[in-house]
Amino acid sequence: MTQKKRSIKDDFTMLTILLIPIGVAVNVVGGNLASLLKLPMYLDTIGTIFTGIIAGPWVGAVTGLLTNIVTGITNPVNFWFIHVNVIVGLLTGFMARAGWFTDWKKGLLATVIQSVASTIASAPPVVYVFGGVTGSGTSLISAVMIAAGKSIWTSFLSVEIVWTVIDRIISWLISLGVMRVIPDRTLVKFPLGNLYLKNKK
Amino acid sequence: MDKSFLEQVQIHKKNKLDGLHSKTKMIVLILYVICTFILAVKVTRLQLPLYQIAWFGVLLVIFALSGQFAKCLRGMRAVFVVFAVIVIAQSLIQPGGEILFKLGPITIEEHGLQKACNLGFMVLDVAGIFVWFFQTTSHKEIAAALREAGVNDKIAYVFVSTLKMIDEMGKNSRTIMNAQRARGIETEGNLMVRAKAFVPSLIPLVLTAITGAEERVVTLEARGFSVNAQKTSVFKLEKSGAETLVLIVSLLITVALAAWRIFLA
Repeated sequence: MTQKKRSIKDDFTMLTILLIPIGVAVNVVGGNLASLLKLPMYLDTIGTIFTGIIAGPWVGAVTGLLTNIVTGITNPVNFWFIHVNVIVGLLTGFMARAGWFTDWKKGLLATVIQSVASTIASAPPVVYVFGGVTGSGTSLISAVMIAAGKSIWTSFLSVEIVWTVIDRIISWLISLGVMRVIPDRTLVKFPLGNLYLKNKK
Repeated sequence: MDKSFLEQVQIHKKNKLDGLHSKTKMIVLILYVICTFILAVKVTRLQLPLYQIAWFGVLLVIFALSGQFAKCLRGMRAVFVVFAVIVIAQSLIQPGGEILFKLGPITIEEHGLQKACNLGFMVLDVAGIFVWFFQTTSHKEIAAALREAGVNDKIAYVFVSTLKMIDEMGKNSRTIMNAQRARGIETEGNLMVRAKAFVPSLIPLVLTAITGAEERVVTLEARGFSVNAQKTSVFKLEKSGAETLVLIVSLLITVALAAWRIFLA
């Protein structure tokens, strides 16, 4: 069987186009739900991770991009972090396409890589625009470290990386939970869906 | 009293600034941001960005002239929180320079205040003009402007349906949480209990949305959504008539400020 060359357009079928709004809404609603239940987590990238795993990097990236544009309408601070969410979608999608998310250990590794990379990408705006303190829950810890004389970079990165890794692992597990309950006949319609079929025959 | 459907979907705005074409608003936004950067000069003995503070006053004037002052200020709430956090945190944690203020363990030093004002007002100005844009421009107008600018129909559709989807799923999530609570899942208590409530609230939500999406594909295809042809739009984007004037004024201000910065400051 000859392998057809993949084009980005192939990833955007009607179903994946409709998946993007869902992914964005899951990001927003997940974040709201987490704060409603007073959980000490953001859980606001579940949708990006989920679309990345199931529909590949480009759909994931668009979901991330749109999430920050839409949440930026009510809180323009998010505009400075558009690239972070895009990176989450892209990296997750590329690793999903390579088949990393079919396996527990590789999936965990992929999630860790993705969260470390995106945290590093979020550092420049945090440091240069917000001076290390953005007003999120963890920035209080960073603020204490800055006041204690540590550099802004180390204070932000050391706190944020640990926190983000935990956050993204939980998000990944939730995405996994959702994929478990989606019936096979729906799953196959997504670009990467056939990687996760329960009944492989 | 009875309006036709065509009349119902239209948006008419009386205020000239509020009703500007979305493209003009976007240009105003970009020019305002450029001016914010031009005005980032530090003055007085304390080296504070006083011009940027005054520039924020201009933003308030724009809010008021658009006739949406209250709405814009409501939209500014999240920005004000970030602004307050930045100013308080930076002025307290940055050491260096002379001590300006001392009250018990709290000291505000020169460098801290400088950094607080520099970062704080930059964020306030730039974020503020975005608030103005989105509070005076409805989703429908943005989508129509995108389409007018030659953006793909699908992108415009995804944008509008995302905003609708967030509302819809927000409502659904409350319904699901109430239903799960009725079945005995606790949503209050210690951290573990609350964390356990998260999953059974979210998974049904995503699942319903995805099954819904499958049906929507059929619906849209049946209406010829993916047909490659010129599409007619019922909603027509209006101009308020002040577009050229606003463009000239904002361009003049930008050029004047740039000239002042280069030759005088």
